Amino acid sequence: MAEQLKFHRSLYLAEAVEAAAAAYAGHAKIETTRTPEGVDAVIDEAGEYDLTALAHAFANHVLHETIALRRQAAIDEGV
Amino acid sequence: MASQEGTPESRLGFSLSSNDISFELDESVYPLEAIYGASYLFLDRCYVYLTRPKDQIVGVRLTAQEAAGAKELDALAGSFANELLSQTLRLKLAQSTARIREYYTAAALRAATSSPSVDDLLAELESEELLEDPLEIMVPWEEKHGRDQGGESSNG
Repeated sequence: MAEQLKFHRSLYLAEAVEAAAAAYAGHAKIETTRTPEGVDAVIDEAGEYDLTALAHAFANHVLHETIALRRQAAIDEGV
Repeated sequence: MASQEGTPESRLGFSLSSNDISFELDESVYPLEAIYGASYLFLDRCYVYLTRPKDQIVGVRLTAQEAAGAKELDALAGSFANELLSQTLRLKLAQSTARIREYYTAAALRAATSSPSVDDLLAELESEELLEDPLEIMVPWEEKHGRDQGGESSNG
């Protein structure tokens, strides 16, 4: 059964979700959909990996990417 | 906190599940930047997932990477809460001292740009009257104190 994660736009950057999905493409099938609330991700076909653990790791990756992108943007803006 | 039907509960009032612990944070108390700061430091210790249950409220779910009991999850959430407080304080201090730090940085940069170059210092040295000796540093001690240059010292 697929895992579904919702990344709220006020907390996660859509670019971060998509970047993480690209990074995990070799480990599972990840479909992302932009919605008015943010981005929904459906994770499936994890193969040899535990699907739930992979979904958790994916969420961590998205959060890491979001924080990194926001910090870079703050540096670029000179904040 | 008392357990219900043997189910362990978080001593800190957090919501415990089989392998995760959840709680809600008010953004007016803990700014989002502080929540990000604490979350970032916990990414290698556990799985962190943020939700937005309602405006100004951030839901945090920490999931242990290995099987963990109520005690371990409580400790994890407690550590996170401590780190969150530390990040909030750091953020508020940074905000409250931002102007003075900007002032000192600007003053340092102004001083650096107006400081003389090596050529200026050399020119200044060359222009100085090096032969002037108002403190009579160049005058021998014996001459200054009226002794004969050939005289012996009282100490031998």
